[in-house]
Amino acid sequence: MQFFFHNKSNRIWLVIIIGLMIFNIWNIIVNTPMVPDQHWAQKIFYVHVPSAWVGFISYFIVMVSGIMYFIKGDEHWDIVGLAAAEIGTLFISLVLITGPIWATPIWGQPWIWEPRLTTTLVLFLIYIGYFMMRAFGGHAERVKRYAASLGIIAFVDVPIIFVSVKFWAPEIQSHPQVEMTSQPPGILIPFLLSLGIFTVLYWLMLKYRIHVIQVNYKSMADV
Amino acid sequence: MFFTLLKKELFIEFRTREITISMIVFGLAIILTFAFSSNVSPMIIVNFAPGMFWIMVLFVTVIGVHRSFAYEKEFDAFSMLISAPIDRGLIFLSKWVSGFIFLTIMELFLLIPFYKFLMIDFPIQPWLALGTTILINLAIMVVASLVSGIAMRARLSEVLLPILLFPLVSPIIISATKISGSIMRGEPYALWDIWLLIILTVIVVFGLVGYTLFDFITEE
Repeated sequence: MQFFFHNKSNRIWLVIIIGLMIFNIWNIIVNTPMVPDQHWAQKIFYVHVPSAWVGFISYFIVMVSGIMYFIKGDEHWDIVGLAAAEIGTLFISLVLITGPIWATPIWGQPWIWEPRLTTTLVLFLIYIGYFMMRAFGGHAERVKRYAASLGIIAFVDVPIIFVSVKFWAPEIQSHPQVEMTSQPPGILIPFLLSLGIFTVLYWLMLKYRIHVIQVNYKSMADV
Repeated sequence: MFFTLLKKELFIEFRTREITISMIVFGLAIILTFAFSSNVSPMIIVNFAPGMFWIMVLFVTVIGVHRSFAYEKEFDAFSMLISAPIDRGLIFLSKWVSGFIFLTIMELFLLIPFYKFLMIDFPIQPWLALGTTILINLAIMVVASLVSGIAMRARLSEVLLPILLFPLVSPIIISATKISGSIMRGEPYALWDIWLLIILTVIVVFGLVGYTLFDFITEE
C-alpha cells in the first residue's frame, strides 16, 4: 500500500493546511481585537471553540460509522469509526486543556462545572473507556461490534448529559462567549475562519489516520 | 418468549440467591463505610444522604449486573442462548427487568439500615420516594444491562464495566440525587419535575437503543 504523502494531492493539501494554520495563528494574534475585560486570555477562544466543534463532529462520525458498520458489516466503517474516535479524542483533550487556561483569568479558577465543559469531560471519559475496550477487549471481531455500539451510545447520551448538567448547577455562569451572532465582525469573521481551517485540518487528519489504520489492518492480515 | 427468559433469570436467582445476597452484603458494607467516613455527623449526612444512597446503588449495580452476565459464561451458556431462534432484544429486556427486580429487592433490604445507621429521618412522603426510586432503578438498570452486554464477553470485563458505566449514568445520578433530596426536604413537584423527565427520557431512549443494538452486539 502506498505511503499517504506519496500521493500528490495529499501533499498539496498538507502544504495548504500548514499555510492556513500559520495564517490563522497570525490572524488571531495580530488582527483580532482585544476584549476589554479578558485581554490575551480571550484569544484562546479561537482555538478552544473550533477544537470542540471538530471534536463533536468527530464523535458524530463515530456514531454514523457505528450505524453503518452494523448495517453494512463492512470493515471500512470500523476503520473510519476508530480513526474518528482517535482524532476526536485528541481535539476534545485540547478543549479540556484550553478550557481551564481560558477560564483561569475569567472565572478566577481553572475548573467550573459549566455545562459544555462538563459534558466534554464526561464524553472524554466515555471515550477513554472506548479505547480501553479496543485495547483490552480481546476477541477482535467482537471488539469492533462493541466499539461501534459504544460510539452510538456515547453520542445518544450527550444531550442527556448536557441537559442534566445544565439544570444541576444553574447558578454557574455559562461560557464567557455565548451568543456568537451578537459578536462584532472583528471577532466573528476570524472565528469563522478559524472554524473553517480547523475543519479542513480535521478532514486531512481523518483521511491520513484512516489510511494508517488500513495499512495496519492489512499488515496484520498478511502476517 | 420474554416471560420465559425472565422466568429463567428469576428461577436461577431464586435457586442460588447469588446476586441478591452479594448485592445486599456489599451494600451494607458501603453503608458502614459511609457512616465511618462521615463520623455520623448530622451536618454532613443530611446534605449528602441522597448522594450516598445513589452511589451505593451504583456500586451494588455493578456487582449485580456483572454477576448476572458472568454466570452465562459458565459452560458457554450465553452462546447457546443467543443461538436460540429468538429475538435477542428480548434477552436484553429480560436482563433489564430481572436486574431491576434484584436491585429493588436489595434496596428494600437496605433501606432501614441506611436510614438507621446514618441516623436520618424517613422521607415525609414515602410513597413518592418509592415511586421515584422504582423509576430511577429502571433507568440505572437499562444503561447497566446494555453496558454489561457490551463489556461482559470482553477481556477485563470486570474493569471495563464500571469504567464505561459510571460516565454514562452521570445524568441519572445527578437526577436521582436531586429527586431524593427534594423529596426528603418535602419540596413541591414543580421544583424537581425536570429531573423526573430526564429519568423517563433515559428509560425510553436507552430502552429503545438497547433493544435495537443488542441484536448486533451479540452477533457471532
